[in-house]
Amino acid sequence: MNLEFGRVTLFVLFMLIPIVGIALGVRAPALRSRLPLLVAFFAGTIPILAMYIPKNFLSGPQGMSSRLDQWLIIVAGFALLLGIVNVIQNGMRKVSRRESGWPFSVVLLTGLFVTGALGIYGAVSHQGIGFLPDGRSTPFKWIQDSMFLPLQATIFSLLAFFMASAAFRAFRARNLEATILLIAGGLVMAGRVPLLDLLAAPFPALHASAAAGTQTLGKLTEWIMDTPNGAAQSGIIIGAALGAASMAIRVILGIERGYLGLGGGE
Amino acid sequence: MPTLMDRILGLDRRWIFLLVLIAVVLPTLFPIGLPTTTTDSTRRAFDYIESLKPGDVVWLSFDYGPSSAPENDPMAEGLMRQCFVKHVRVIVSALYPLGGLALANNSLARVVAEFPNLKYGEDYVNLGYKDGAAAVMRQLGESIGGAFPTDVNGKPIAEIPMMQGVHDLHQVKLVFTAATGIIGEWWITQVHAQIGTPVIIGPTAVSAPKYFAYLNAGQLVGMLGGMKGAAEYEKLLQVSHPELATLYRSTPHFTGAKGMDAQAVAHALIILFIVVGNFAYIQHRAAARRRS
Amino acid sequence: MRNGVLSRASARLPRFAAPLLASLLFLHPQTAVAIAPEVAPPPSPQIPAATLFTAKDRPGDSGGAVLLTWKDPPGLGPDARLEIRRAEPPSFEWTPLQLVKPGEERYVDESAKDGSVYRYEIRVVPQGATAQPDSLAAAPATGPPLVTEPVTSHDDWFRVDRTNSLIASILFLIILLASISVAKSGKHIFIRRIAGLNAVDEAIGRATEIGKKVMYIPGIQSMDEIQTIASIAILGHVARSTARYGTDLDVPNKDPLTFVSAREAVRGAYLAEGRPDLYREEMVNYVTYDQFAYTAAVSARMVRERPAAIFLIGYFFAESLILAEMGQSTGAIQIAGQADPTQLPFFIATCDYTLIGEELYAASAYLSREPVLLGSTRAQDIAKGILIVLGLLGIVVTSLGLSWFPDLFKTK
Repeated sequence: MNLEFGRVTLFVLFMLIPIVGIALGVRAPALRSRLPLLVAFFAGTIPILAMYIPKNFLSGPQGMSSRLDQWLIIVAGFALLLGIVNVIQNGMRKVSRRESGWPFSVVLLTGLFVTGALGIYGAVSHQGIGFLPDGRSTPFKWIQDSMFLPLQATIFSLLAFFMASAAFRAFRARNLEATILLIAGGLVMAGRVPLLDLLAAPFPALHASAAAGTQTLGKLTEWIMDTPNGAAQSGIIIGAALGAASMAIRVILGIERGYLGLGGGE
Repeated sequence: MPTLMDRILGLDRRWIFLLVLIAVVLPTLFPIGLPTTTTDSTRRAFDYIESLKPGDVVWLSFDYGPSSAPENDPMAEGLMRQCFVKHVRVIVSALYPLGGLALANNSLARVVAEFPNLKYGEDYVNLGYKDGAAAVMRQLGESIGGAFPTDVNGKPIAEIPMMQGVHDLHQVKLVFTAATGIIGEWWITQVHAQIGTPVIIGPTAVSAPKYFAYLNAGQLVGMLGGMKGAAEYEKLLQVSHPELATLYRSTPHFTGAKGMDAQAVAHALIILFIVVGNFAYIQHRAAARRRS
Repeated sequence: MRNGVLSRASARLPRFAAPLLASLLFLHPQTAVAIAPEVAPPPSPQIPAATLFTAKDRPGDSGGAVLLTWKDPPGLGPDARLEIRRAEPPSFEWTPLQLVKPGEERYVDESAKDGSVYRYEIRVVPQGATAQPDSLAAAPATGPPLVTEPVTSHDDWFRVDRTNSLIASILFLIILLASISVAKSGKHIFIRRIAGLNAVDEAIGRATEIGKKVMYIPGIQSMDEIQTIASIAILGHVARSTARYGTDLDVPNKDPLTFVSAREAVRGAYLAEGRPDLYREEMVNYVTYDQFAYTAAVSARMVRERPAAIFLIGYFFAESLILAEMGQSTGAIQIAGQADPTQLPFFIATCDYTLIGEELYAASAYLSREPVLLGSTRAQDIAKGILIVLGLLGIVVTSLGLSWFPDLFKTK
C-alpha cells in the first residue's frame, strides 16, 4: 500500500472527514451543512499552497494538487452519469404523458441510446470509435461525421445571421455612448475587410485610391483594437480578476455559500 | 398607416437573414479575389516564426472544434507549412475535447502530403489528445512524457527520435495555439507566465479583441485574429516563400483568403443595414417630434 | 584544477586511488579540484578551461534538478562547445549530459534524482564533438576539466521567485478580512447602483404577471470556473424570488456538475422560502454536454415556451449571441452577466441589462445586502484602488528610466 504523505492526507481530508462528518451529521443537521464548507476549504487551499510550496507531496506530478485535478475529472465523469439519467427521466416523462413536443423526446432518446450503445460496443469489442481495420468508419464515427459535425457547424453558422439582425436592431444612435459604439463598430468592420477595394472593384480608375484607403482604414482599425480596446479589455480583465479572487476567497473561507444552496454569507 | 421608415425599423429579421445568406453564398461560388492587407499582430507572429532555425522545435496545439475550423484550420496549416519549409520540427497536440484530435489529424495529413520528404518522428510528431487542458499544460512544463507518454499511435515518446532532446517545454522554442474559448488564454497564464515559453495565439475573431491586452503586455509574441489573421498570414507566407504561393493558388482546400471575399461582402451588407437602420431611426424620431 | 603530473598518469590507477583522490576535494579550498581517473585523451593546454563552475540544488523547485553555473573562458570561439558530464561518487564514471554553446553559462540537469549524490565536470571540447561516450573515447584533445563538489537535489519549501505574489496575496487577504470586520461592526458599506441587479425583481415580477416562466441559463462552464459559482449564487436569489411569487422556473444546464449544484441551490432556495411544494425536479434539468447542441435545445425551448424573463449569467462562449438573440426575438426581458469581456458586446447589443466584469461577482453581495459579502466587495475595490495607484506610479517611475520598478511585479 502506498502510504505517501500526500496520498494519506488527501484520504483523510476528502474521505475520512466527510464520512465521519456525514455519520455524525445524521444527528446534527448543523454539522451536515458545515461539511461541504470544510471540503471546499481544503480543496481550495491545497492548490494555493501548491503554488508557493514546491514540495513533491504537494505540487509534484503525483502531489496533492495534481491529484485533485485528476479527481475533478473523475467527479465530472460521475456527474455526467447523473445528467444522462436526468435526460432519460425527463424524456420518458414527456413521452409517457404525451406532453407537447413528445415526438422530439423520442428522437432524443433514440439518438442517445443508439450512439451510446455504438460507443460502448466500440470499447468492449476493442474496435474503437474511429476506423475499422479495413479503413471504413465505425458506425459511431459515421454518426459523428455525418450528423454531429454538420449540425454543430450549422448552429455555429447561425451567428452570422444573428449578428446581422442584432447589428441592424442595436446599432442605433440613441445617445452619446450608443453613437460612439456605432461609429467604432462601423470603422472596425470596414477596416477588417478590403471594403473600399470591394466597392471600387467595378471602377479600375479608383483601385489605387481604394487600396490607399483600405490601408488607412486598416491602420485606424489596428489603433482602435490596440489602444482603446486594449486598454478597456485590460481594465475589465484586471477588475474581473480581482473580483474572481475575492469571490474565490469567500468560497474557500465559507463566507459565500449561495452555490451550495445554503443561503447567503455569514 | 406605417411609413416607409416604420416598415424599415420593423423589418422582419428573416429578410435580413436572406440577404446575409446571399451575401455569403455568392462570393463563395464566384470568388472576387480581393487583396489582403497585413496587421502588426500577424506580422509579429510571422517574423518570430521566420526567425526560428532549422532543428528548432515548435509546439502546435489544436484547441478548437469543428465549429471554428474555417477560421482556425488555415492558421494551423499555415504554421505547419512555414515550419516545414524552414525545417523546424513540429509537435502536434490537441487539447479541445470535442473534435480537436480529428481536426489535428486531418490538417496534419493535408499538409504532410504537400511535403513528401518529411519523416514522421524526425520532422514532426502527433501526440494526440489529452484531457484536462490547464493541468496538461502545467505538466508539460515539468515533463512532456508525463502528460503524453505515447504518441497518437501508441508509440512511447522515448522511442521517437525527435523527442530525445525535448524533455519539457523549456526545450520548445514556441507554442502556437489555434484556439477557441479559454484554452488559448491558459497557454498564456500557465505556460508563458510560469515557464517563459513564447506563445503565439490564433483565436477566433470574436475572442481576438481580448488578446490585444496580452499582446500589448508582451505576454504574446504575436496573434492571428480570426479568418482575416489567417488570410494575412497566408499572404506573408506567399511573399516570403514563393513555393508556398504556388501551393496556395492551386489548392482545392479552404484557405483564409478564400473566406475573405464572403466576409467582405457580409461586412459591407451589415454596414449598409446599420446606415439604413440609423437613417430610418433618425427620420422616425424627427417625425415623432414633429407630431408632438 | 588538474595539475600536469597527474594528467599524464596512466589510465588505470590502483583501487584506493579514487577515494584518496576524492578526499582531496574536501581538503582543497577551491570549488572544483577533484582529480579523477580519465579514459579519454589528456587535456590540451592550448584549450582554455571554464572557471567558477558550481553545482547546487535548483532553488524553489519540486526537486529532480541541479543548477550548474560557470564562466566561459575568455576568447572562446562561437563554434566551440562546453561539455558537461556527470558522475555518481565514489565512482568516476562520467556520463555525458549536454554540449552547451558558449554564452549560456548555465545548465539545469533535470534528470537528477532526489537524494542521489552527483558530481559534475565541465570542459571545452573541439567543434564537431557530440555528447556520446564512444565519440569522446576517440575524440581529439579537450580542454582541462573542472569538477564540482558533490551535490544532491531535493524539493524545497518555498518558491522564492513567487515572493512578490505571496506578499500581494497576503495583503489582499488582510484587506478582505479587515473590510469584513468593518462591515460586521455595523458600518454602512456603499455599493453603487447596478441597473441589471435592480431589474432582477422587476423581471421576475413581470413573468409572474404574464403567467410565464423565468428561464435561468447559468453559463456553459463547470463549477471549477468562478463565474459559474457566482452564477449559481445569483440563481439562489432568483429561485427565492420565484418561490415567493409562485413563478415557474426553468434552469437548463450544459455541464453536469453545474446541473447538480444548480439543483441544490434551487431546492435550498425553495425550502428557505417555505415553499417546498412548488419545487419540481424538472425545474433544473440537464440538456447535453455539447455546446451547440445545448444552444439549439435551449433556443428551441425559448421559442416554444416563450419565457417572460431570461437570465444569461455565467461564462458563455460563441453561443451567447444565438441565445440572446433568440431570447430577444421572443420578447422576453433579458438580463445577462459575464466577467470575461469576450461575449459582452453581444449581450450589450441584445439584452436589456448586462452585468459587466466584476459586477457579476458583486451580485450576491448586492442582492443579499449581507454585511460580510458587502465587506468583501469593498475589499476588492480597495485592492483595485491600490493597483491604480501602483499603475500610475509605474508610469511615472518607468518614464524616469527606473526599469527596476516593473520588475518588482513580475512573477513566475
